Amino acid sequence: MSCYEWTNRIDDFLDGRLKAAEAKDLQAHIAGCPSCADEVASIRELRDLAAALPRSLEPPRDLWPGIEVRVSATKVVRGRFGSRAVLAVAAAVVIVSSVVTAYFIGRSQAVMVTVEPPSVVESGPSEILLASFKDLGVDNYLDTRTELLDALDARKHELSGETMEVVMDNLLLIDQAMDRIAEALGEDPENEFLMKQLAGAYRRQIDLLQRAVRMPAEV
Amino acid sequence: MATFPVPKPVPPRAAMPVAGKAQGLENLVDRAASGEVDAFEELYRENAGRVYLLCLRMCGDQSLAEELAQEAFIRAWQKLGSFRGDSAFSTWLHRVTVNVVLGDRRSTARREARIKPAGDDVPVDLSASVPSPGQALDLERSIAALPDGARAVFLLHDVEGYRHKEIARLIGVAEGTSKAQLHRARKLLRKALAS
Repeated sequence: MSCYEWTNRIDDFLDGRLKAAEAKDLQAHIAGCPSCADEVASIRELRDLAAALPRSLEPPRDLWPGIEVRVSATKVVRGRFGSRAVLAVAAAVVIVSSVVTAYFIGRSQAVMVTVEPPSVVESGPSEILLASFKDLGVDNYLDTRTELLDALDARKHELSGETMEVVMDNLLLIDQAMDRIAEALGEDPENEFLMKQLAGAYRRQIDLLQRAVRMPAEV
Repeated sequence: MATFPVPKPVPPRAAMPVAGKAQGLENLVDRAASGEVDAFEELYRENAGRVYLLCLRMCGDQSLAEELAQEAFIRAWQKLGSFRGDSAFSTWLHRVTVNVVLGDRRSTARREARIKPAGDDVPVDLSASVPSPGQALDLERSIAALPDGARAVFLLHDVEGYRHKEIARLIGVAEGTSKAQLHRARKLLRKALAS
């Protein structure tokens, strides 16, 4: 293996990501190659210097007053899923719905920028969410979602980076809203309001994906 | 003949527990999670310097760093109910902060892409704000001058101790891209420090 090829592995070596056999080979190479040895020493020195940088710096002004104003104004939901949690779930779903709708209505007038389209990343729904869907009578949620995500992934290079980012951001928001609903349902499984919200979030997510998949090519 | 020991992966510094403070901190977090603003202020006092410096290094602008640090604490307050104590509070807050900074960077990039041509970014020198002596000061300056992507990955990996897998997820790129950005950043920094 040439020095160039070894050089590309030095980062992995120093960060402990090389397999033992490869690391041993690289060590043997370094032992007889002053140039690569210098490279290792130089990266190690930089890494050590970076790791020793200060970890804290007091802000030039006290930021608390600004934080306190907003914190005090938002006596937010806490994790015990009381009635405020239910309202927050509803608010989250409404916000997501509004953002998605506004985007698709307004996108014809939007100024598009060309950036690398993000990949469609499937983080996957939680177990508790899938169980809640079964209670709701939706057995094919995972299949439908996966099918639409695959279709979107296949089209990602035809859509602008901004469109993909908005779709994925909103997909994530709806996922988060669904997770919160599912968690709340864990505390209160018979809550009809929450079940309705979950059904609504499901419809919005599938609608978002279907709209994105059907969009005309932009790139 | 020089020998180089095989390095072990370093756990994220953000994940290291603070000995002796754990109990008091847990109590503060519980109180803040139940809505006590005073307890949350103590958490702010405990973590403000670290959150602010992370924001400053990531964005390279003092006033924006102040805004982002405030936003990070407000986001943390809003999300405290989802903090389950699986990791240290400081680790959790750190991730909230990284998400806030990266989220701002994405939306700023979108805004700026509409109003200015690409390539006229002027790196902001934050070295004057960071009390590091000698070589560390040069490193701070050089980090501030890195391109955005390389700077973010370098800071998260080499300064903050994140792994590529996590960086890739946070930034929304492939793991290989994160590795490539780190390689690029280290190369640029070594060149800058040698000149």
